Amino acid sequence: MAQQGSSAPMIHVHQLRKEYADFKRGEQIALAGISFDATPGEVFGLLGPNGAGKTTALRILSTVLQPTSGTATVNGYDIVKEPSQVRHQIGFVSAGTGVYDRMTAWETVEYFGRLYGIDDETLQHRMQKIFGQLQMDEIRDVLGVKMSTGMKQKVSIARAMIHEPPVIILDEATAGLDVLVARSLIEIISRLREQGKCIVFSSHIMREVERLCDRVAIMHRGHILATGTIAELQQQYQAADMEDLFYDLISEAEEKLRPKTTSF
Amino acid sequence: MSLQNIKLIFRREMRDQLRDRRTLFMILVLPVLFYPLLGISFFQIAQFLREHPSKVLIIGYASTEGSLPELVSQDQFAQPLRENAKMDKVQLKLVPLEKLAFVRDGLWPDSGELNSEQAAIVHMQIRLLMRRYHCEAAIFFPPDFFKELGEYPNRFRDHARLAGQTEQAPPEVPRPVLLYDNSSDKKALAHARVDRILRKWSSEVGQKSLRESNLSQLAAQPIEFNQFDLAKEEDRINTSLWSKILPFVLLIWAVTGAFYPAIDLCAGEKERGTLETLLTSPARRVEIVLGKLFTIMIFSFVTAILNLVAMAITGGIVMTQLKELAVKADVGPPPFTSIFYLAIILIPVSALFSSVCLGLAAFARSTKEGQYYLMPVILVTLPLILLPMAPSAELDLGFSLIPVSGIVLLMRSVMEGTIGQLWPYVFPVAATTLLCCYFGIRWAVDQFRREEVLFREGERWDLGGWLKHLYRDRQPTPSFALAILCGVLILIVKFFLTSSIDVPTSAAAIKALPFSSFILRTILAPMAVILAISLAMTFLFTKSPSRSLQLGLPKRLSLPAACLLAVALYPLATALQLLVAKMYALPPAAHSLLEAFQEKLGEVGAPWMAIVFIALLPALCEEFAYRGFILSGLRRSGHRWRAIVLSSLLFALAHSIIQQQANAFFLGLILGYLAVQAGSIWPCIAYHFMHNATAYLTSDLPLTKQILENNVYTGSVLFGGTLLAIAILYWFHSLRCGREAGGAAGASPDALT
Repeated sequence: MAQQGSSAPMIHVHQLRKEYADFKRGEQIALAGISFDATPGEVFGLLGPNGAGKTTALRILSTVLQPTSGTATVNGYDIVKEPSQVRHQIGFVSAGTGVYDRMTAWETVEYFGRLYGIDDETLQHRMQKIFGQLQMDEIRDVLGVKMSTGMKQKVSIARAMIHEPPVIILDEATAGLDVLVARSLIEIISRLREQGKCIVFSSHIMREVERLCDRVAIMHRGHILATGTIAELQQQYQAADMEDLFYDLISEAEEKLRPKTTSF
Repeated sequence: MSLQNIKLIFRREMRDQLRDRRTLFMILVLPVLFYPLLGISFFQIAQFLREHPSKVLIIGYASTEGSLPELVSQDQFAQPLRENAKMDKVQLKLVPLEKLAFVRDGLWPDSGELNSEQAAIVHMQIRLLMRRYHCEAAIFFPPDFFKELGEYPNRFRDHARLAGQTEQAPPEVPRPVLLYDNSSDKKALAHARVDRILRKWSSEVGQKSLRESNLSQLAAQPIEFNQFDLAKEEDRINTSLWSKILPFVLLIWAVTGAFYPAIDLCAGEKERGTLETLLTSPARRVEIVLGKLFTIMIFSFVTAILNLVAMAITGGIVMTQLKELAVKADVGPPPFTSIFYLAIILIPVSALFSSVCLGLAAFARSTKEGQYYLMPVILVTLPLILLPMAPSAELDLGFSLIPVSGIVLLMRSVMEGTIGQLWPYVFPVAATTLLCCYFGIRWAVDQFRREEVLFREGERWDLGGWLKHLYRDRQPTPSFALAILCGVLILIVKFFLTSSIDVPTSAAAIKALPFSSFILRTILAPMAVILAISLAMTFLFTKSPSRSLQLGLPKRLSLPAACLLAVALYPLATALQLLVAKMYALPPAAHSLLEAFQEKLGEVGAPWMAIVFIALLPALCEEFAYRGFILSGLRRSGHRWRAIVLSSLLFALAHSIIQQQANAFFLGLILGYLAVQAGSIWPCIAYHFMHNATAYLTSDLPLTKQILENNVYTGSVLFGGTLLAIAILYWFHSLRCGREAGGAAGASPDALT
């Protein structure tokens, strides 16, 4: 089931829909039935303004949230029926980094490694390797509370890679990082792509998306407005660069929605 | 479930908490330092108290020059009257009578003969005098008191000689007045000291008089008893005090010790954003909850034990030192063997508190919000801990079924050494506690499965917006929260109704009421409240009233089946009622209240009217509320039986006396089951009606009297009825509609692991 050719989608999302109740605005649609595929060795970008539904989509993929309807599979495992297997297939990095304040970098990564059921010897070996790769040896014994955001994000990535998952999900991972750290993060992601990982990357920063993503989906209010490689999209919409393209698409969508919104 | 994961999570959480200085200080360091400091300050205060002198004003004292035992020598009470060193601290200020204006006016401070104006003048003058000389109490001897006292034996003898010839009462001994003010401890202490001295002096005056008239001492002090304490040496010292204090301290700290780590482990983790990462790891939610639960348990347990030991050691030292200081104290250090047993009993308690705290903490979106939940937790726990502190409370079946209270009594009986006879109650106590633990853990796990709880964001909340949301986004059936709100609202409105329309709460009040207002206040008004609240909520907050109230037609035959079931189960219901009455004795007031109720109901014109009031109305109103709105709301949580049990609990709480509550709870279980299985409220109304009608119709039958006297339903009736009931319940069990409706809602939380 899990063994599939490299061209087959690693992530398959079909008509994923998520509704939730909100005190102020009533029933809200966070995802209005989105569909996309992502293959191994590819960086797939979810691009959209705040509140577009990127985080919701990624949380559903990582089985933390339940979809209202629609399906998604990760490496062949269904996110609703086999959540436990799905979680073994992914490494999740969030904007909040999720590094424990009172644990050192080493302890944090080790803890998650154990939760993934990796035996001690392999775990030690892998941790040495990852700490080397990410140049984290000097923060090995630093407590989370004393780390800078950049250091925390590195720990977070190390934690997400420890079980060598085929899929890595980065939810606004570059938010709050300074230029240097963001740059090195982007290098790390490029390297992971070379290793054949399937990477889903959400952001609202054009530059990063342009540099990094093989294909992007532009999201707005729970809808995917357009999907394709950057070149394809630029050609299709006759836009000079990504930023213009993004702006045009979003304004167009806003325009369409406006009469509807006022009638609410 | 993987034990490995639970262990991993547990070990991480433990390490995390042990590295948190705030938690460590609150939970472990503070208690260890607190008690010794308390002990030290106790000595400081005790020292201060011992040296405190009292000053007493004495008005109108005159020496009797040997004719009576002396009361005063110089500025102190006479030496033979002072029993111990404390009495040396009493200073006296003597004032002659002439100094007081009211005496010159011929007034006494004795209350009897003064009008209120005069009394005010007299008391004011004495108070002023006391203030001038810094006195805390005063003794007033009326003019010629000592002279009259000295001449009293002669006057009495004259009277006795004339005995039989005159109707005159024997002469009275004149009365001095002790004026005191217990508004402060200092003044109360002075009062107590003076009172003791005066009694002793009075007794000596009496004995001297007996001696002089050659009478037996027995006349004044008939028989004195020697006393002997039968308790064993080690029990004698302390038990009564320690057995009350220690369980209290232990449980309060078990709650506190569970609460702070729970907040940090759940709300804190949410706040720091680490919970989301943990949820994306392979650890399942049950494993996360259990790992955290064990951590919280350890903290709860260790905190309680540390407090216990620190308190016991400090208490022990304080008590021994008090003894060395020759202060009379019956309390020694608590026995250490009982501390060991307390520790064992503590384990399930800390599990219970931990699971409750964990569920609450998971619900809080920030540590700040979490802190606010401590007070409600304490407010709910405190009555349960204090209830068994009543002197009459003893470990019995009734108490052992009350969570926490049973544990407190078990701890007490261990400390008092009565566990030898009471050990069978260990089982119901353990069963109750473990059941509560189980529900607590289930609840905590549920919290971890709810998206809206895990990813709640700090949005601004306002009442208007919320009500608008309730109306605008109303769904076909009420939500879980609305159902609970309805139940609570009914309770609150009924409570206020009781005081506002003067619902009779005593037998005498019932008897005094005319029949019509009796019916209005005890039946019609409460029923109207229940019906109004549930109907109003149904039409305001749900889109489909008929589905909310389950008004759909039931399956064929289910109406007669429900009626038959009510009759068949009635013997069992009565037997249960009697059992409950045995376990929790009905207070006499409640008993007479019920009797008065019955009697008043007998004044009804026709029996069918009584049936309308007592069976038809409650059946309609209560079913619309409890099996209609509330149950269909509770069922939205997905668990069928949890909904039934919760609705029964709310139903029970709406009754006032515990026997009725227990009865209503069982009734609620059956009714809830019928509602779920038949998918309709009509069989419940039928059952409820038949149940109440049967109760009313049989209340006068000789059969009922026989049952009440023998305390058991005639065996064959009970057995046959129950057998028939099981058959009917099985028929209901095979009805399908209940499960289909519940299944759709129940699917989602269970699939999420």
